[in-house]
Amino acid sequence: MQLKHEAGAPHPGETSKAAIPYLEIRDIQKSFGGVRALKGVSFSIEPGQIYHLMGENGCGKSTLIKIISGAQPADAGELLIDGKPVGHLTPVAALAAGIETVYQDFSLLPNLSVAENVGLTQQLVAASGKLARRLDLAHMRQTAERALAAVNLPTTRAFLSTRTDELPMATRQLIAIARAIASDARLVIMDEPTTALTKHEVDNLIGIVGRLRAKGVAVLFVTHKLDECKSIGGRAVIMRDGQKVAECDIADHTKAELGFWMTGKVLDEARYRSAPKFGDDLLAVDALSLKDAFANVSFSMRRGEIVGITGLLDSGRNELARAIAGVVPADTGRIRLNGKDVTPGKPADAIDAGIGYVPEDRLSEGLFLEKPIEENIVVPVLDRLRGAFGILDGRRSRDLAKRSVEDLQVVTPDVANPVQSLSGGNQQRVLIGRWLTINPKLLVLHGPTVGVDVGSKDTIYRIIQRLADEGMGVIIISDDLLELLQNCDRIMVMRKGEVVEAFQAEALEEEVLYRALVEETTTVRTAL
Amino acid sequence: MTDTTFNGATPDGNDKVSLGSAWRWLLRHPPVVTFALIVLVCLVVGTINTDFWQVSNLFDILRASVVRGLFALGVLVVLASGGIDVSFTAIAAFVMYTVTMLVTNLLPGLPMPVILLVAAAGGACFGALNGVLVHALRAPSLIVTIGTQYVICSFLLTFVGTALFMNIPGSMEAFGKVALFTHQSANGSISVLPAFVLVLAVAAVVTWWILERTLIGRAVYAVGGNPGIAERLGYNLRTVHIFVFAYAGLLAGIAGVMHVASNRLANPFDLAGTELEIIAAVVLGGARITGGSGSVIGTLLGVVLITLVSNVLILVGIPSTWQLAIIGVFIVLAGTVFSLRAKR
Repeated sequence: MQLKHEAGAPHPGETSKAAIPYLEIRDIQKSFGGVRALKGVSFSIEPGQIYHLMGENGCGKSTLIKIISGAQPADAGELLIDGKPVGHLTPVAALAAGIETVYQDFSLLPNLSVAENVGLTQQLVAASGKLARRLDLAHMRQTAERALAAVNLPTTRAFLSTRTDELPMATRQLIAIARAIASDARLVIMDEPTTALTKHEVDNLIGIVGRLRAKGVAVLFVTHKLDECKSIGGRAVIMRDGQKVAECDIADHTKAELGFWMTGKVLDEARYRSAPKFGDDLLAVDALSLKDAFANVSFSMRRGEIVGITGLLDSGRNELARAIAGVVPADTGRIRLNGKDVTPGKPADAIDAGIGYVPEDRLSEGLFLEKPIEENIVVPVLDRLRGAFGILDGRRSRDLAKRSVEDLQVVTPDVANPVQSLSGGNQQRVLIGRWLTINPKLLVLHGPTVGVDVGSKDTIYRIIQRLADEGMGVIIISDDLLELLQNCDRIMVMRKGEVVEAFQAEALEEEVLYRALVEETTTVRTAL
Repeated sequence: MTDTTFNGATPDGNDKVSLGSAWRWLLRHPPVVTFALIVLVCLVVGTINTDFWQVSNLFDILRASVVRGLFALGVLVVLASGGIDVSFTAIAAFVMYTVTMLVTNLLPGLPMPVILLVAAAGGACFGALNGVLVHALRAPSLIVTIGTQYVICSFLLTFVGTALFMNIPGSMEAFGKVALFTHQSANGSISVLPAFVLVLAVAAVVTWWILERTLIGRAVYAVGGNPGIAERLGYNLRTVHIFVFAYAGLLAGIAGVMHVASNRLANPFDLAGTELEIIAAVVLGGARITGGSGSVIGTLLGVVLITLVSNVLILVGIPSTWQLAIIGVFIVLAGTVFSLRAKR
């Protein structure tokens, strides 16, 4: 319907679709302060095709996306749309040309309504970015309704006027997609669209992509998740170190091959967990409940054990993790550590008891991004680093940070550098290092490798194993099933706020775990 | 998947109106809280002293709300965009004094509409300067406007003058005297609602229209919600920055002239120092200091509440020195209530 370019008449000047690609990227280069982020990247995008722009964090794929979507100009190179050079694209010009981006953070305006988030962009583009225009409310609503219906979201008045920051993550993502297809999209770029989604929501996403494709819209995924690329299919454009290293049909190559191109290393899907040695009883969670989140959760674990907890976004797994860490305390129930009641009422209680918590969203909940690595690491133990007159002992603080950085293999020339200078994987290790300073008895890792590239994952998994071998109890809350299978002794599955199943992880099939995860909701979802 | 994921978002109990859902509704409609405070103050004061229920009091409050209201509408637009402006009183003082002086000395016959136009244009120029500085320097607007406030004030007192104008131009004086409505009470005293309250009404409607019915209005809220995202989506930050400060300056210019017309004198030391009171009124009306929210109706109610407290406490024997304490308590109260909305 609204995607009329491809569905209807051919675009003017377009004689043969096969001959002229929709978008051609020619030798794009970009540097930031002397660092060459893109060293001449070229590839073409044909209508109705699916592409995966793959690479580890820092390979330049995000920079390339910013250039295509008009957020940043390229230093050199050309972009051609329908065979014609377009020069430097502004965000509005890129949108007008049909390039729509679903950003990793969804880029929704939190204080505006669903209808405005979906429908305003189209009016902005129609006005060529000029703001002195009357708002066409009726048109905005129609645009929003049509686009929301296309992604199976409600189109009721109440939903249209809801602020987007009041909605759950998965709904926000669908709204971001609705916005992308609300106008005449010809290329939809999805920047790591599945990071915040459970497998189910990914399936829905794949359904939407199929429908876009049928209308002749090209879709470009930006990702480093090999599993998803394999299941979606299409063409892979693989980048490493600012260059395109390979372009191929995904179906023709194994995950190992793709992974090798991305990382330059041979990947391993084997279990990290081997020969666990359990000690005494460590943790006993007894009938923990939080209204509207989880109910009656009980389990126990021993020293040196790694327990995985998984579930869909609304299963209560996130809230359970936060309750154990005292971030959002449970209403009722007890948590005992070494037989002592330590049920935390605030994060400081958990820290005192020896519970370290690495949150899911390290950017907003965990790290002080502009602050030095050192300060980020030593923050929980500041009072132990008190020197004369109660003043912070700078040398001990620095030594502690340096030991931690060395121990966790954080790649940085200096602990005085800000945390934001590090890659995602290294940031995550700083966060883990912070909690190791309190010598925790129990470490709760919430999504330990979200937004972390393949090579860094390996390092983090090895660290987790070593900590458990040293006698620490580790809880991993994650929706990355392979991660749990590779690392845990036991895996608990949550649905609708309850622990419904528990598995021994060894020799467990991913398929079995996946079915346990989704069982109750399968019927609803296949209706799509 | 929509079914399962969306369930979490819809309010759970639609069948019965519980205390919880009423509370939630209230948090989403902050002007209702402001309105409730106004009613509360009226009831308390009116019960203690029945003299409160007089048309003259209503007229006084409306008259005193005009200058504050014009300022507040400008502050609302700036706050909604995520900025803050404290230079508007200085702009108003400069414009009112300079325009009064120029008209008195050079063009005594200048009609009121032209005076208003000149004041608006002058104010808008100062405001646009604020906007350009905020955008070009990428500096916090609070700091920039503190700077421009001092510079404008100092410039006014150094180069333009410090003397009072007791005889203001005829057209301004006449404009201040036009009555919209005259009321004679039982004891024979006459109270007048001046026509210049209409200026506030027109400004309020125009501001509402800009914020709710134009692209620039939505862009103001978009930038206030998250400037980085707004820029990525193609909203021109420069246009928005310059617009909001220019608009606040424009309203400040008009407010300055209104101040002269209603007081029938131009004092260059007037208005300075009332910035925080105006910002407080806008925040009392439900705008968040961090940007991206606020409404015209809420702002007007906030202004009425502040004016009410400053005008009527004397009726119940509370010394005027206590006004600030009461306003302060209201601000803390409103701030607490509205921040609950953020936590949810």
